[in-house]
Amino acid sequence: MKKSNFRIVALLIVAALSTIAFKMAEPSVDEIIKKAEDKFRGTQTTAEMAITIQRPKWSRTMELKSWAKGTKYSMTLITAPARDKGTVFLKKDKEVWNWLPSVERTIKLPPSMMSQSWMGTDLTNDDLVKESSMVKDFKHTLLGKETMGGKTCYKIESMAKEDAAVVWGKIISWIDVKDYIQMKAEFYDEDEELVNTFTGLNVKLMGGKMIASKMEIIPATKKTQKTTLEYKSIDFTTPISDDFFTVQNMKKVK
Amino acid sequence: MILKLAWRNIWRSKRRTAITLGMIIFAVVLSTLTMSIKEGMYENMIKSTAGDFSGYAQVHLKDFWVEKTLDYAFEVDQKMVSTIEAEKNIDGYLPRVEGFALAAMYNITKGTAVLGIDVEKEKTFTKLNERVVEGEYLLPDDESILIGSGLAKYLKIGVNDTLVLIGGGYQGRSAVGKYHIKGIVKFGSPELSKQLVFLPMKAASTFFATDGLVTSIILKTGSSDKGIAAAKHLQKNLGDEYEAMNWKELNPELVNMIETDKVEGYVFMFILYLVISFGIFGTMLMMLAERKHEFGVLVAVGMKRVKLALMVWGEILILSILGSILGLICAFPVCYTFFVKPVRYGEEVAKMAEEYGIEAVIKTSLAPGIFIEQAVIVGLIASVIAIYPFLKLLKINAVNEMRS
Repeated sequence: MKKSNFRIVALLIVAALSTIAFKMAEPSVDEIIKKAEDKFRGTQTTAEMAITIQRPKWSRTMELKSWAKGTKYSMTLITAPARDKGTVFLKKDKEVWNWLPSVERTIKLPPSMMSQSWMGTDLTNDDLVKESSMVKDFKHTLLGKETMGGKTCYKIESMAKEDAAVVWGKIISWIDVKDYIQMKAEFYDEDEELVNTFTGLNVKLMGGKMIASKMEIIPATKKTQKTTLEYKSIDFTTPISDDFFTVQNMKKVK
Repeated sequence: MILKLAWRNIWRSKRRTAITLGMIIFAVVLSTLTMSIKEGMYENMIKSTAGDFSGYAQVHLKDFWVEKTLDYAFEVDQKMVSTIEAEKNIDGYLPRVEGFALAAMYNITKGTAVLGIDVEKEKTFTKLNERVVEGEYLLPDDESILIGSGLAKYLKIGVNDTLVLIGGGYQGRSAVGKYHIKGIVKFGSPELSKQLVFLPMKAASTFFATDGLVTSIILKTGSSDKGIAAAKHLQKNLGDEYEAMNWKELNPELVNMIETDKVEGYVFMFILYLVISFGIFGTMLMMLAERKHEFGVLVAVGMKRVKLALMVWGEILILSILGSILGLICAFPVCYTFFVKPVRYGEEVAKMAEEYGIEAVIKTSLAPGIFIEQAVIVGLIASVIAIYPFLKLLKINAVNEMRS
């Protein structure tokens, strides 16, 4: 009698321990989000990419070079097509500046322009600036695991915190279990209506990190439209000084 | 038999008939004139906000009006031209390319509507050249712009300054340009004045990368109603690929404003009808009192009360119809005078009206509907009021009536 009792207790302890062990191996939701976010942020990034706007009747490709440092600074230089070549966007804190070589003017984008499309893409100027941190401004719940793009992913629901000044009300993201790559994300507005769907494609090693080298954004209301971003090269190591991100430097970058 | 009696009764007492008839005629003229002035004001409003700028009808590629992007630009091909020219309500057409751009001046920026216009055609159609208050009107080959006076004030710029425009062009291309301000145009509507920038079609084509395509064709029609008819007809002939819209669809705010004003107008008209009703009622009471003895005798010699009542009702009915028709004939020259010679508002009111882009005059409308409607309404009021003497005569007491 006593012996069997002991056995049950022992079993229970083992079971409890194993759950703890399992829990330890599995990162918390906040950690998953942070790791995914840190893939691009918190470091300096120099990248070259191509953006393709796809519409039912036409498509157009732009090439650009971008520099970014943390969430605070970013600079984007359009290198092709010829019509837009040399156009630069500088993001500094919450301000966006635009250098237009054809008229030799620098313009600070007014708030009314923020919700407008950025260079005719499905991205808005706001998308470029939004400083919202997934970790800080959202509350996350792990919904489970799902296979997305051939990878096992954590499916996470992130709800905007009530006091956070963010564009989205809810985000559902699929983050790869192994490399913390965001494979898919659905962006909802404050009424929980789907606005955009983001998909990560062509996962490969670039600049020493496993990343989705191609991304697609499809607006929910216009399913026949699409904007594709593809990295041609990416560098996470070359240091960039804060002085690089100045209005004066916009005219000089190459 | 009853009608014949009624007819004879009318002519028996010419003075009484004249008073009743005069009352009805006066009522018709008054209500018609009121309605005609109101309708005239609406026509004036529609003409100055819709007609002179956006046209009474427009043709775009389908969904342009909702999306309002340059991606809905289209080519004005031969088929389009011949379809438009075949429409009999249309006197002419005017192409425009409409886009949005940010106007930037040093640190001030403002969202604007940029219109690429056919400089020459615009002169005869919308008389845009007459709206230039400072500087000069455009020439077709100019790389210059005209801007609204409100915009000039906001950006603190004037003629000969340079304005930078940044926006989205055709199919995702960027639209960036630097233009010399050649003139400043004034629009009645402060909304238009604050956001309009005009560019010659050729320069707009380069700016928006539209390469000669247009987003809208403005149709010139003789009246707002013809615009509605033309849009409806064109929609059928052009097919689903295009949208032909009338001024109501193009200016929902204006339609709203008129609708609201109409409701207020109904209250006023109701009071007017009430006054008219009492006037007519008064003449009828007078008639009843005057003829008491006569009615008493008729009943005493054996005329059925129902027949008597019907006869009097018939009299009033004839008078109503006659009065309405005569009223119509009298109302027309009165309204016509105001139509040909509009009365100008006083200085203060005129200024206010012009701020809203409305020509500051009281001008009547000569739409036949108004005249007929008012005549019918007044005629109906009179015949409804005639129910009172009808009921009264049904209960007539011969002895009492004769004694009084």
